[in-house]
Amino acid sequence: MLVGDFPEVLRRAAAGDASAFARLWRDTHPPLLRYLWVSAGDAAEDVAADVWLEVARRIGSFRGGEHEFRGWLFTMARRKMIDRHRYEARRPVSPTSDGELLDRPAADDTVTAALEYISTETALALIATLPRDQAEIIVLRVVVGLDAGAVAQIVGKSPGAVRVAAHRGLRTLRDRMADATVTSPGRGGVTL
Amino acid sequence: MRVFADSLAEMWSFASRRSRLSPDEATAELLLAKRRVGQHALASERTLELVLAAAAGPATERELAGEAAAVTAFLAALPEPERPRRGPRRVPALAVAFTLVALLALCGTAEAGALPAPLQQLAHQAINAPAPSPAIRVPQPSADVTPGPGATGSQSAPAGSGASQDSRAGNPSASPKPTHTNNGQSNGNSQPTASTTATATDSTTATAQPTKTDNGKGNGGTPGQGGKNGNGNGNSQG
Repeated sequence: MLVGDFPEVLRRAAAGDASAFARLWRDTHPPLLRYLWVSAGDAAEDVAADVWLEVARRIGSFRGGEHEFRGWLFTMARRKMIDRHRYEARRPVSPTSDGELLDRPAADDTVTAALEYISTETALALIATLPRDQAEIIVLRVVVGLDAGAVAQIVGKSPGAVRVAAHRGLRTLRDRMADATVTSPGRGGVTL
Repeated sequence: MRVFADSLAEMWSFASRRSRLSPDEATAELLLAKRRVGQHALASERTLELVLAAAAGPATERELAGEAAAVTAFLAALPEPERPRRGPRRVPALAVAFTLVALLALCGTAEAGALPAPLQQLAHQAINAPAPSPAIRVPQPSADVTPGPGATGSQSAPAGSGASQDSRAGNPSASPKPTHTNNGQSNGNSQPTASTTATATDSTTATAQPTKTDNGKGNGGTPGQGGKNGNGNGNSQG
């Protein structure tokens, strides 16, 4: 988070200052990419590039602080992700390989790996095993750092519904880890 | 009894599982706020805390690898007014070009004599464009103009040419006989001043007066043309 520097960085970026934009990008791109990876899978980087192009075009008209900027950015990202899903639904790609399926780790392997060595990618992979709405809400709250109200605006739900979905997702994760903890020595009987 | 024991065991198992998985709202909120759940938390909750902390960890090299490309795309996608300017603005150049074209058009119009009289006069003085047509001048009192000896009409103006726009003064070539003709309208003169002049010459009493309407538009035909004086263009004498 840029906190106190944000207004100046934003002003310079809006004026076309490449270094200011780079600073904004370095601060915001990693959580954006994580959110999109959980929500859009392999299309995350493409969607993120689209989002930043949109930011470049419209940053001059943005007004608000850092939290508002993040809300604006992730709202844009979510819309582009939905567009992407719709596009893919209209034009389904016949799989020529199993690569896409192999990229998404199975839940049991992910849990075991998470317990052995928790890296960022592993943790995101574990969260990505949740239903999509729960996963994206947890990422928006934990990774992006938005509160329930801001997340509610982004996903188009009430703050209460956001809390319920987040708690449900955490409960599911905890359930899986508890089961993995209990059964991990054998690994053969893991049922998640 | 055995059935009861089995039921009791099943209930115990369910209660145990339920307590292990039951949502603790406060703990969930702590986890979402990235705060520590404390030592009293379940092992699974502490593990979950580690997972969430890892998910929100610092940026990785892979995530930041695209910075240069992102900045390049940013510069290329900036709207035009927000791009850093490297050269002079284009607006003055466009304004100069527009002004030049407008001036050229104005000069062309002035050379064609199609400007309003004041502007045409100005152009006449400035760039030697043709003087404004006298027909649209403000009529001057003719008291100082005396009929010349050529009032007989013998000094006809060039036939229907109408070119002599300065022939107004001292060229009283009006017909001595009043002619009620649309003088000059049928002489093939296509200049707009001809019709104006003809309108002014619809006077039946202005004989032998150097009227303001006599502008040598060919209405000085030979007398005795049977009232058709001026209908011709003045070159049919013979």
